[in-house]
Amino acid sequence: MDVNRRNLMKAAAALVVEQWAGARHLAYGDTHGGAGRKVIIVTCGGIRREDTFSEEGLVNIPHLSSDLLSHSAFYPVVRNNGVTAHYNTIASILSGQWQRLDDWGKTRPASPTVFEYLRKEMKLKPEQVWYISSNKALTSQIGASSARDFGPAYGANVIFPKQLLINAVVRAASSGRPVRGTDRASVAPELEAMLSRDNYDGLGWSISGDASSLDTPTLGTMQEAIDDLVRTNAPATGDEFTYLVSTEVMRRFAPSFLAMSFSDMEVAHFGSYSLHLAGIRTVDRLLFELWNLTQELPAYKDKTTLMVLPEFGRDMDGSTTNGFFNHRQDSESTRMTWMVCMGDAVRSATTLEAPVDQTDICPTIARLFELKGLDLAGKPLPGLWL
Amino acid sequence: MSNAQSTQIHSDIPAHGMDDAALAGYRRQVARLPMTMQPALNQQLSGWANLFPYEQNRVARFLGGAANCSPAQLDALTQSLRAIENRMDVKQWDFNVNADTMENASLLARSPYYAQWRGEVQKVFTAVEAAAPQAAAPRHDSGRVVLLILPASLPVDSIVGRKPWDARGVEMHVEDAHRISDLALHGESALPSWVDARMSASEATADRWLIDADAGLGGELSSAHPPAQLLEYSVLKSFRDEFLRQVNTVPKDISATDQILAHVRGEDWDALWPASLKGQDRLRRFVIDVFLSGNGALIFSNAFVQWSSSEALRRARPRLLVSRFGLRSKPKPFSGIAIFENQQKVSALRDEVDPVGSAIDARILARYIWLSAMRYPERDRTCCVCVAESSGSVYVISPPEQRPDWLTTRSATPEDICAWMRHQLAEKA
Repeated sequence: MDVNRRNLMKAAAALVVEQWAGARHLAYGDTHGGAGRKVIIVTCGGIRREDTFSEEGLVNIPHLSSDLLSHSAFYPVVRNNGVTAHYNTIASILSGQWQRLDDWGKTRPASPTVFEYLRKEMKLKPEQVWYISSNKALTSQIGASSARDFGPAYGANVIFPKQLLINAVVRAASSGRPVRGTDRASVAPELEAMLSRDNYDGLGWSISGDASSLDTPTLGTMQEAIDDLVRTNAPATGDEFTYLVSTEVMRRFAPSFLAMSFSDMEVAHFGSYSLHLAGIRTVDRLLFELWNLTQELPAYKDKTTLMVLPEFGRDMDGSTTNGFFNHRQDSESTRMTWMVCMGDAVRSATTLEAPVDQTDICPTIARLFELKGLDLAGKPLPGLWL
Repeated sequence: MSNAQSTQIHSDIPAHGMDDAALAGYRRQVARLPMTMQPALNQQLSGWANLFPYEQNRVARFLGGAANCSPAQLDALTQSLRAIENRMDVKQWDFNVNADTMENASLLARSPYYAQWRGEVQKVFTAVEAAAPQAAAPRHDSGRVVLLILPASLPVDSIVGRKPWDARGVEMHVEDAHRISDLALHGESALPSWVDARMSASEATADRWLIDADAGLGGELSSAHPPAQLLEYSVLKSFRDEFLRQVNTVPKDISATDQILAHVRGEDWDALWPASLKGQDRLRRFVIDVFLSGNGALIFSNAFVQWSSSEALRRARPRLLVSRFGLRSKPKPFSGIAIFENQQKVSALRDEVDPVGSAIDARILARYIWLSAMRYPERDRTCCVCVAESSGSVYVISPPEQRPDWLTTRSATPEDICAWMRHQLAEKA
């Protein structure tokens, strides 16, 4: 990404986090450290094995397959035995129970999420658990379950950075103001207005409380950044923005548990294989940057476990569900995926061939945080220092 | 098997409309079936006039099979499926038996019994169909030709790359390969004319499909022939833009989405249809169905070509399918974020084409069309020619009995290839 665009995106990310945190009166964390372990889990939409960990696919994941794999625990067979849709899958991973919910996130997960376990059992502050996602198919209901004795009081901060920008662009367009360099002055306020709002229409959630006002330097930076964004002719992807918002959260709050979802590769639903592969490559690069960041930030260095996995594969070529476009076929191509785990919990670089389920991830995270006695269907992953 | 005395099922398939008595007879048969089988059948009956002849035959044959089953026989055939429906608790769902809806699909897909349910539906369908009168069985004796064109604007060195489409396929270089599409589509020996000359007008219409990412395929088709099923993405632009605008009002709520999509489906789009679709209600309905079934058809021209072609093969089982791919634009600033939007409206920056990305897309989507053709019984009599005009590469798949000598020598002219395709269209078992 060119420097100007990266600066703009960083500034936009800073603003989003500023606004969000201010509205919730979240306290900035101790960004210089903290004794506890940190866990970051990244889910990456639907990606087929053949486009990643296969002879043909390695070209799309140069960082994962070399830079990162060389010090990772690699699980080549991770099964999704649930509903292969985004909301259900992510809810299943986060709760450790296969969820069968409305695909569009109308209802909360039926069993407690790891966010709630962490906040309730470890008495973590709200700013210590976050879920940041590019994926349009989700709602903030993902942040807490409907389970008795748990629920939103113990939920995560949920934020959809990409959706904020989409809404801004759509609003600008629907107002008859197409986005172009020559009228960027009219678009910039739209972006700013959207980013500054404390109630985001159409997202299925709202923020209670007063919005914080931006300090002047931040506002100035933001205005300059938006100006740059509108002027630039380089594509800006949602996952890049999600990544930058996530890193901003890491710098400001150093959460103990951060879940992220990338979704650029979901352009596959629209039938562009080349853009789907480009999405995979973007995520590969962002994961490498994320890993490097955890090695740089004092709050994360030497105490962070990073887990990376696709939510599912995609359908087989020739399937009646139209192959890579979709992910609803009951096939190995769709259900079987992989996971790369690196950092604090990894004893040594290793490949663990034994099949594991996605519902084994929640008990693993629970064990990393030394939570015991949870009623979870799965079992902790082998090969980790738990 | 016979239960025909209690229901009036027409063995003659009405080509266009259906009288009320016949429709009522069909609907009575649908009502005898398990609940989860009813939406698709009822939807087809409701839109009978817009079904292609193959679809009408298939529905009539299936319901004829149901009519041939006594209540006891049908109970036995559907017992397992009904048991699964009971375990799913379908009766407690807000399940629409009159039409396929997103709500229906969502309810079924998230049931733990979904995979079992799918398998059982397939079994019931096969068993009931087998009970149909033999005379109603479809014929699979016609040759089929699938011609796929990757135009010169797409840089394609090798069509198959490392993923052969079919064990029988051969990729070879042909001088002046771009002439294949000219010869196939224009002049007295053009493939559409070849089909016309061998079929009745009503059959021929649904039997020749030309689907184009741009607007070049239909230009020189002879007006003396009944119109082919011609779909040109560029020509549909006004309709697409407005259609996409309305579809984008869909909220993040499944039941509301069903309502909006039903509204969109029923809207009067007359003013926006291109002249080439004048009077072609069935083809217009096909386009709406393609757009509403997603798969990128509203967003990318090549996705439209692939998905329309696959749906045409599934629904109409044509003798001739010609599909031509094209260029798409690069994602613009912001539209990389909001790719589902109409990027010409979201961004007024000039479109910039992406030949390399378009070629990658077109290659895999061309293969998908071939894989679609392979799902049906006519697969054994289906031939494929895929032409990469930029490199002169031509990929040919031939059934063993029809294999031409030039495929062994890998030396052919455009005339040889077109003559061979014409021969395939003339073939009968």
